[in-house]
Amino acid sequence: MDAQAQEIRSDTLRRWGLALPAVTIITLFSILPLVVVVIYSFLAPGDFGGVRWQLSVEGWFSVLFERDIFDDTVTLSDAHLTILGRSVALSLATTVITLILGVPTAWFIATRPARQRAFWLFLITIPFWTNLLVRTIAVQEMIRSEGVFNNLFLSVGLIDAPIQMMFTNFAVLVGMAYVFLPLMVLPVYAAIEKFDFRLAEASYDLYASRLYCLRKVILPLVRPGIIAGSILVFVPSLGAYVTPRIMGGGKSMMLGNLIEMQFGQGRNWPLGAALSLTLTALVLVALVWYTRLTAGKRRG
Amino acid sequence: MLDLRNLTKRFGKGDSAVTALHEVSFSITEGEFFTLLGPSGCGKTTLLRLIAGFEPPTSGALVLDGRDIAHTPPNRRPVNTVFQNYALFPHLTVAENVGFALGAQGRPKVEIAETVTRMLDLVQLSHLAQRKSGELSGGQQQRVALARALAPKPRILLLDEPLSALDMKLRKEMQVELKRLQQETGLTFIFVTHDQEEALTMSDRIAVMGGGRIQQIASPRELYDQPANRFVAGFIGETNFLAATCAAGRLILPQAATTLPVAHADGPVTLMVRPEHVVLAGAQPDALTLTAQVDRLVYFGTDTHVHLHLADGCTLVARVQNGLRGGLPCRQGETIPVSLPGDALHLLPQEAG
Ligand SMILES: Nc1ncnc2c1ncn2[C@@H]1O[C@H](COP(=O)(O)OP(=O)(O)OP(=O)(O)O)[C@@H](O)[C@H]1O
Ligand SMILES: [Mg+2]
Repeated sequence: MDAQAQEIRSDTLRRWGLALPAVTIITLFSILPLVVVVIYSFLAPGDFGGVRWQLSVEGWFSVLFERDIFDDTVTLSDAHLTILGRSVALSLATTVITLILGVPTAWFIATRPARQRAFWLFLITIPFWTNLLVRTIAVQEMIRSEGVFNNLFLSVGLIDAPIQMMFTNFAVLVGMAYVFLPLMVLPVYAAIEKFDFRLAEASYDLYASRLYCLRKVILPLVRPGIIAGSILVFVPSLGAYVTPRIMGGGKSMMLGNLIEMQFGQGRNWPLGAALSLTLTALVLVALVWYTRLTAGKRRG
Repeated sequence: MLDLRNLTKRFGKGDSAVTALHEVSFSITEGEFFTLLGPSGCGKTTLLRLIAGFEPPTSGALVLDGRDIAHTPPNRRPVNTVFQNYALFPHLTVAENVGFALGAQGRPKVEIAETVTRMLDLVQLSHLAQRKSGELSGGQQQRVALARALAPKPRILLLDEPLSALDMKLRKEMQVELKRLQQETGLTFIFVTHDQEEALTMSDRIAVMGGGRIQQIASPRELYDQPANRFVAGFIGETNFLAATCAAGRLILPQAATTLPVAHADGPVTLMVRPEHVVLAGAQPDALTLTAQVDRLVYFGTDTHVHLHLADGCTLVARVQNGLRGGLPCRQGETIPVSLPGDALHLLPQEAG
């Protein structure tokens, strides 16, 4: 009996020993920085960046509100609300656009003969392996005033003067949709590729029209892939930094840029920390919604 | 009711083209249990897919109730299929699967619910109506697939090797069940199998296919007793083939001591005799008598297979029923007289190869 207890104890010890490196790394690089961010968000800003060790909720307060410098009246912060709203709206729009472009693309690839699929997938993933900055600047090159599109439209006489597309929500959207498209195509492709087309055949045999088959058989079965793709696009879109920075400039900022600003010129680290945590919370909401959706399907 | 007229199906183009069906023609009558039987790759599935509408024929006509439906899409043919892999919709419950066709046809909910209940009763699965189709055993999935295809009351039910994924015992049960269903509903079944026993026990008529052609269409009994050619004879049951000749109204088997009168044109023929008709004794009336050496005795429970060879090396198998006392009919290595009774012999035209 005693020997057995001993054995169990040594087994437990060994398990902990094996888990130690992973636990250390997670603590060191994931939990600890998060704790630091949480602590910073409750401190006062230092004069030249950094924080003063003094408890303050000013950082959290400034996420949504601003205080008038002269009479201390409190109002909702228009600038922050706009950026917050824009971040969510642009991320949703990016998700929708990549859905519209990505699902048919994934369908196209998944229905090619097996030998051709690798080629098409390769084409989709090339941009993925290219530096984000390079890709974004490439998009900029397409739509800036003297860019490819404007020159083309001018030369065929479609327009008289270049259209100002850069530094608008539109530009950010184009950039993000381009950058995140592979993240939509790949999981949707994986789902469609797994789809057994004999089921579609069976549904035609049972008097289903193409639309009925799509609605009742194909969509329900590729839904997990569509949801996964949407999350994979939405979450990084929400925190996007490089793309809105280049395509939107100072005019069409998103949360990521606002956060960066607080740690840079803004010199308001507690606000930056609070904004970061707000972003994390938004992502968590999306993820909870995601698990609900997929788990609900399995149960129902 | 269903007429196939010179149906031909070719896959691919040019040199790499495969002709899966050559000029297939036959008719099926209402309420018939019709079986397509043939070895793997002979075109059974292709023919079924043509009837279901998944593939258009390269040429020929497919006439159902007087209308050519060769190019009608599957969702507008009153023909349903039970697929070999069942192809049940994994995200739907058993009841939703069975009601799928009626839903697609836009029938009222009440009617769908009523039909589903009736169909599940018919296949004895009412207690599983709310299960997901992925959570069923093979036999249960089989029944759901059957109920799903029967629910919209098709004119013809197509079944592509529906029992091949089941184990022996379940298979036998389902054979009985299928036959019962067919008789109860009075529906026309076109059943595909490569199992000759299954075909013989269930069918009203069997079409034996080989190399994309119909070899013979006949009742099970006729197919077994009077095969049209060597392919059919060899495919249905076990058979001995011996080369013989007809000359001046006599059947001459070179290895035999006797000859028999025959009403057949002169020339070489293939003589076919079923193992159960070979008699291990000499001096029978109206029989070809030979001597053979016993190679092997194989015990099969109800009977014993005696493998023999003749003086010139030809082999012959005899099937002897095991009696109560279980004595062996002969011993290995022994040389014994063998008779082939005249009425058990069947002559086939000699074929090249
Ligand atoms: N889509 C296709 N493209 C090319 N050849 C095909 C196609 N479908 C079938 N064939 C060919 O047609 C022939 C008949 O195939 P089919 O599937 O009808 O055989 P089967 O009798 O059903 O065989 P099994 O008993 O193995 O299911 C085969 O030689 C097959 O290779
Ligand atoms: Mg087949």
